[in-house]
Amino acid sequence: MDAPLLMVWVVRLLFLALLYFFLARVVRSLLTDLRAAARQPGASLGRLIVVESPGGDPEAGRSFDLDAITTLGRDVNNAIVVEDPFASAEHAVLTYRGRGWYVEDLGSTNGTFVNGRAIASVAPLGFGDEVSIGQVRMRLERARSA
Amino acid sequence: MLVTGTRKRPLGRTIVHVAIVLALAFGVLAGAGGYWAVVRSSELSNSPYDPAVIAASRRVPRGDMIDRDGNVLTHNEKDPNGELYRSYSGDEISHVVGYASPRYGRVGLELAYDAELSGLAGDPFSEALRKFGTNPYDPKDLHLSMSWDLQRAAVNALGSHRGAVVMLDPRNGEVLALASTPTYDASAITNPATADRAFQALRDDPAQPLLPRATLGRYVPGSVFKIVTAIAGLGSRAITPDTTYKAQPPAEKDGLLVEGFRIRDGHHPETGNEQLDLTSATEVSCNIWYALTGLQTGGEQLVGYADRLGFDSPIPFDLPTAASQVTNGSGSAPGGFVDDVELANAAYGQAETFVTPFQMALVASTIANGGDLMKPRIVTSISGRNGSREIGASTMAHVLAPSDAASINRAMVQAVEGPLGQQFTTGAKVPGVTTAGKSGTAELGGRGEPHSWFIGFAPAESPTVAIAVLVEQAGRGAEVAAPIAGRLMAQALETQR
Amino acid sequence: MTGASRPAAPRPVELPRILGDIHPRPRWTETRLLLIVGVALIVGSISLGAGLTGRLAPYEPTLLVIYLLTLAGAHVANVLAGRRSDEVLLPVVGLLGGISLLLMQRLPQDLVTINVAGSTLGLGAVQLIWLVLAIIVATTLGIVVRSDSWLRQYKYTWAAAGIGLLLLTFVFGTDVAGQRLSLRIGPFAGQPSELLKVILVVFLAGYLSENRPMLIEQDTRIGPIRLPPLPYLAPMVAMWAIALLIVVIQRDLGAALLFFAVFLALVYAATGRISLVVIGAILFFAGSALMANIFPHVRDRIDIWLDPFADPLGSGYQIVQSLLAFARGGLIGVGLGQGLPTVGGRPPIPEVHTDFPLAALGEELGLVGVIAILGLFFVVIERGLRIGAAAADDFRAILATGLALVIGVQAFIIAAGNLKVLPLTGVTLPFISYGGSSLLVNALVVGLLLALSDRGVEPPPPPTGVRRWRDRLRPRRAR
Repeated sequence: MDAPLLMVWVVRLLFLALLYFFLARVVRSLLTDLRAAARQPGASLGRLIVVESPGGDPEAGRSFDLDAITTLGRDVNNAIVVEDPFASAEHAVLTYRGRGWYVEDLGSTNGTFVNGRAIASVAPLGFGDEVSIGQVRMRLERARSA
Repeated sequence: MLVTGTRKRPLGRTIVHVAIVLALAFGVLAGAGGYWAVVRSSELSNSPYDPAVIAASRRVPRGDMIDRDGNVLTHNEKDPNGELYRSYSGDEISHVVGYASPRYGRVGLELAYDAELSGLAGDPFSEALRKFGTNPYDPKDLHLSMSWDLQRAAVNALGSHRGAVVMLDPRNGEVLALASTPTYDASAITNPATADRAFQALRDDPAQPLLPRATLGRYVPGSVFKIVTAIAGLGSRAITPDTTYKAQPPAEKDGLLVEGFRIRDGHHPETGNEQLDLTSATEVSCNIWYALTGLQTGGEQLVGYADRLGFDSPIPFDLPTAASQVTNGSGSAPGGFVDDVELANAAYGQAETFVTPFQMALVASTIANGGDLMKPRIVTSISGRNGSREIGASTMAHVLAPSDAASINRAMVQAVEGPLGQQFTTGAKVPGVTTAGKSGTAELGGRGEPHSWFIGFAPAESPTVAIAVLVEQAGRGAEVAAPIAGRLMAQALETQR
Repeated sequence: MTGASRPAAPRPVELPRILGDIHPRPRWTETRLLLIVGVALIVGSISLGAGLTGRLAPYEPTLLVIYLLTLAGAHVANVLAGRRSDEVLLPVVGLLGGISLLLMQRLPQDLVTINVAGSTLGLGAVQLIWLVLAIIVATTLGIVVRSDSWLRQYKYTWAAAGIGLLLLTFVFGTDVAGQRLSLRIGPFAGQPSELLKVILVVFLAGYLSENRPMLIEQDTRIGPIRLPPLPYLAPMVAMWAIALLIVVIQRDLGAALLFFAVFLALVYAATGRISLVVIGAILFFAGSALMANIFPHVRDRIDIWLDPFADPLGSGYQIVQSLLAFARGGLIGVGLGQGLPTVGGRPPIPEVHTDFPLAALGEELGLVGVIAILGLFFVVIERGLRIGAAAADDFRAILATGLALVIGVQAFIIAAGNLKVLPLTGVTLPFISYGGSSLLVNALVVGLLLALSDRGVEPPPPPTGVRRWRDRLRPRRAR
């Protein structure tokens, strides 16, 4: 084998090796994603704890991990389904913007309450504040520390 | 991340199922890729439809075929376009060497060893290395055991007859000559200028020159088949060399009645009322003795020993061979015979027996080699850039005990050299050498002259050449086939000295 | 928190744009992966150069440079746009497109020629143009598409548009190779069936997500079989039946197979009911058997598939040459540019740039290369399915799944055709085959997937009721 032929072979094999190197890196980033998701189930942004729920759905004491946008209401398509006769199908939405939490009422029949007071349309929400949807009361908490 | 909290969310799980199914599907694809790229790779790489192969065959000089004396039998020529084509040293080798034509394909050894000759095949290791090399093709040369001189002599001896000659060395199975006539000019087929005309003419020729009669022609054997019967009879202990039949002498006059069918003979004046044994029955080629022996041996043993000799399946050989048969097996009697009549007639080589000249040469070779049949081969070594690979001798079957073979050997010597035998095998004896053999006159039942057969070997004490000669419809064995055999055996022994 | 309204103080961000500012966000994973892609493609180009010219230099580097610059530009655009979208899709698609470019450079350039402004562009240059356009389309969609309401709301309109497109092709289209129908607009020819598959996925996503509870929970019983209520199943099945029928009449068997497979997969994903899949599969096989008996060309296809070596110089020629190419390639291939021994000056495989790019790559990159490429396709599928699994609601989930399947199942079908696992069909290998319409539609798919993958995406609007809730979001107090 002459020297240039050797180089050609090296280049050919190098190309194939680079394809697999790329695949390996992709797989590694997929696995990192997976591990991160497993280590922190749910968002690291915050939790909503159900304080009181006369209807039992969602159960009292249950904790929901919150996404950047979390919808609440009776409709099954909501992120948090509140089965309460006084809750509307699309009742409210919890959003995390900038560095804070906000709750917004989506035009529900009976209104949304923060710490017992009705909100107009949008209200900021801090950790420890309680939001009421129908007869269900929930409290915003920090996320479980990772 | 699944958004938690919703009541019914199997959507994530079903999606995972879909992912798994797709992963399996892609796995199947990877497996299919492996199948075609690795498992079937070397086989497909030699496919005649592969453009790389086609291109190579036009560029790369094919390997040559060289006879046992060093004569080169094939040549690579260049046509006006600079592309290569084959040519051959003579017509007489056409049925062995074959031809390699881009349009008309390959036959003969050109086909059987196509991969080696074109330089594509090899062991898997060199196959893998082939891609690394600058010259990836290594056409190999074939070294043949055939002797061009003997082959030419055989074809000349057959003359204008249609027929075949097979000569081999019974000690190791090397084929010395494999001639079929009429021959044809293979170079005319491979030369692009004459290819179409030549091939058309050959295909339309009623004499069928393209047919390799020696290996693929099937003929009624007649009396040469008696050797097979003798082998079966002795081997199965149905008879001994001294077996005689009381019924035989009277039947010489009136014919032997087997289930209403009368078997006749023609040598009554010579033997009179003498009860013949193996040796004398072979000497005068007594149909009745052999018919009785066949009946005594039984159909099953007869077919069984014939199968050991290579009957009923193609003989393993470098070139394709047709299967010889003792019976077509449609009957329900033992061995596949219809009834005893067929068995009796088959025992002396009529009825539904059909043999190739190649098979009969192996029969002679078995007796010559003391009962051990050596595997026939015509390619003895394959040589390339990296050295050569020998193809050695091997035993194909232990057919008969040496003592039994010796008995038949004696009988066959008597058939050539005995006072009565000489008349049936005139010309077969090699001067100065004890010659053994058997002639045959194969009756075609009114469809023409009988075939003329001879099988034999020499020198009988320790044979170095075995032969089978068939001349189509040439009359009695003594007249045509025997003298051809004698001459050729003499020449073969001459060159072996 | 009272309702007194005040003139809004200047906000640092306009609320109609979703969460907070759009500010540049680093995408290091994407950067790293794209660097590997760049190096790999440059090495590949050198390998191609060595194979074609014998010298160790990149082959026609201009084309590759333009392509790499486009990828870099797309990456910069993604970074500037700051959306938290998937960082793996662009590099993977970029690598596939790069391999396609190398392949199109390697094949005879006169397979496709376009005259533009007096100069003639060959196969490689034309494919480069399409690739650049595709990347632009994908990136733009990934950045700009913020809400899916335009997809979600008008599913029946989309369906009608799709069928309309198909009928238009049927009436005005031209025949290419007796099989595919294209629409010609000026010098460009496109295959509407490519776009149709996306439209139908959108329709299915909308329909299935909306009616999902009904389809899962309520049943009609036909003997021992439990099916979703027929009134809900019917429009879906009717849509697909019409689409399939038209596709079959156009003799585009690959598209029919693709539609059906995606349909079954999405129905399963949405309902989780295997019984539907089984029934669908039975219907499919029964339909194929029926078609094989009625249409001789379908039966021919199947015969050739089962034993192409029966007629290796006639009808089986294509697939035999494809298999021979894989066999010649072996484990590591013969090298870019060094395969495909010519027959009369042309590559031995007909339509190698559209139907058989995998065979060409199999010969030149070997089994190792083919498995890597299959792996790349699987990564695209995986990303899409993951986006679906993580989606905020059912519509997005089914949409993302469907889009991923459209690319993945199509790749599977044509790769299987090349390898004699399935009969050969006329679909293209996404991102690798030559073909403007194929590239653009697949770019559309990838762009939508990127848009859907944004981890901080606008929440789905309520299906009924108040819509302009955005306008009423006025945080009074910053924290």
